Amino acid sequence: MLILNVSMQKLIEKHSIEQLQQKAKQLRISTLELCSQYGGHVASSFSCVEILVALYYTGILKYDPGNQYYDERDHFILSKGHAETILYAILSDIKFFPFTWLETYYRHGKCILGGHPDKCIPGVEITTGALGHGLGIAAGISLAMKLDGKKNTQFVLLGDAELTEGSVWEAALFASKHKLSNLIGIVDKNDISALEFIKNFTSLDSLPDKWRAFGWEIIVVDGHNFDELISSLDLAKNQTLEKPVMIIANTIKGRGVSFIENDPSWHVRKITHDEVLQARIELEYAV
Amino acid sequence: MIDSKIHMRDAFLDSLYEFAKSDRNIILISNDFGAPALDSFRRELPMQFINAGISEQNIISVAAGLTLKGKKTFVYSIASFITLRCYEQIKIDLCVMKIPVTIIGVGPGYAYDVDGPTHHATEDIAIMRALANMQILCPSDSHLAASFVKETLKSEIPTYVRIDRGAPPILYRKSTNLKKGFSVILEGKDLCIIGCGITVHIAMDVARMLKEKGINPKVVDLYRLKPINKFELVKILKMVRKIFTIEEHTINGGLGSLIVELLVDASMTLPVKRCAVSDELLYAYGTRDMLHCARRLDKESLVRTVEEWVLESESSKNNRYSRRR
Repeated sequence: MLILNVSMQKLIEKHSIEQLQQKAKQLRISTLELCSQYGGHVASSFSCVEILVALYYTGILKYDPGNQYYDERDHFILSKGHAETILYAILSDIKFFPFTWLETYYRHGKCILGGHPDKCIPGVEITTGALGHGLGIAAGISLAMKLDGKKNTQFVLLGDAELTEGSVWEAALFASKHKLSNLIGIVDKNDISALEFIKNFTSLDSLPDKWRAFGWEIIVVDGHNFDELISSLDLAKNQTLEKPVMIIANTIKGRGVSFIENDPSWHVRKITHDEVLQARIELEYAV
Repeated sequence: MIDSKIHMRDAFLDSLYEFAKSDRNIILISNDFGAPALDSFRRELPMQFINAGISEQNIISVAAGLTLKGKKTFVYSIASFITLRCYEQIKIDLCVMKIPVTIIGVGPGYAYDVDGPTHHATEDIAIMRALANMQILCPSDSHLAASFVKETLKSEIPTYVRIDRGAPPILYRKSTNLKKGFSVILEGKDLCIIGCGITVHIAMDVARMLKEKGINPKVVDLYRLKPINKFELVKILKMVRKIFTIEEHTINGGLGSLIVELLVDASMTLPVKRCAVSDELLYAYGTRDMLHCARRLDKESLVRTVEEWVLESESSKNNRYSRRR
């Protein structure tokens, strides 16, 4: 069993945590601006900002923007492809492509940066957008790496509403049977689907027990807390249990802007000019 | 030369096994589906065989992931399950991303006759050819089935191989230029009968019976249904007066449809008769012969259809002449 003990883990320095928080703020503002101009799922992006920052800005996920397909890289799949705005903001920030691409190509014109991630985009491993595909493909990649004796890690981020796809649980069974210890899943558990609160239409109660029953090791964290996220990802990456690990990250959909937080209607709402100004003030002056 | 008694499915799997012995990147995934020829693969190459259970959606996604990392992945299942249950995975994980996984669909059409509609695959050509970047192969004998393995290993796009059960008579005794995508199995000039897979053999029987009645048909085996070799096929069809297609597949979107589309796109006007599974629900169990009779796809019905059609068109031609006079 993996026990998350933040104080016992090799954590990054306090000032680095502050830098990560600043980065999260900057990326939320970029996402807000992009969604206000071109559309996109602002609330879905905001719930996973800290998760993606913990992966991309701490050295946990190995990547090289200058050599995208280098053999020793780790893989990341955004299975909840509708949070593409925050992913694009990060990929441009870490120089997989210039920010001008977002201004020129995001959701308009001859767009390679479409409404869901495409394999042709620098830094994107697979095309996602239809839910329930990411974990299965991640399992295939993990198995190939295991068969070849490679040490790379495969990360995959799922939405919690995505867990109502049966294919997710087919992949869950497959991954545990094949002891894919190089596979780390993260559930962005914001409790809201496209239409409403998930509890209104399905039973995802006792989510850790469900994953445990499918043979996975579980870590439950606050999905907006960098200490917990980093230590859980580090722990999962270096575990020796011969099991895949699922990190259940409790998050708030729309996190960071009071009037977007925890409101199902914001899955699809386009933000107005006045709302952008108010959201920006909240994000800029957040403590 | 391949043993004439070996089943097409086993011929494909035996050939795959031979390649897999010297290439550990070849991986075969089954959805809890076996075959006599699979036993040696499972026994001798356990690291290259995965029974992923009855989970077609996950199997296609896993196959995509394995292939992205350099594996040459083959997925093996009954045709109806591995095309319909996981269609979105095939579209996105394989076709959109152009990942060359090979799907081996066993028992298309009414091959699983008495197993009923749950096991019949009479829509597979229509749905698979609707997908961009998909190649569709359909062997008509065991020799062709075995030779398709090399083609799929070379392919840069996903391939669906629809393989009938059983061991029909060998049609290809010499090696064939598979790049062509079709073969003229029997020469003739009065009309051209086109089939694929098992219906090529029905077409040959029909052709023999028609010859006895003074009609001299050409028979074409269209073993690659996508991409069609349009240029060469049009050249052949320009030399015939009528086309007759036979398929164990719904009339919507299958072999007959693709021939008609080919003619329209080539601005050719030729009479075409499509013999296929009609667009109505036939919820019936029975042997393959019984199902063929119910769909008028048995050789006697097909011969009658050709005769009536030829007579009908001759008489309308005569009427046209008499009106002119």
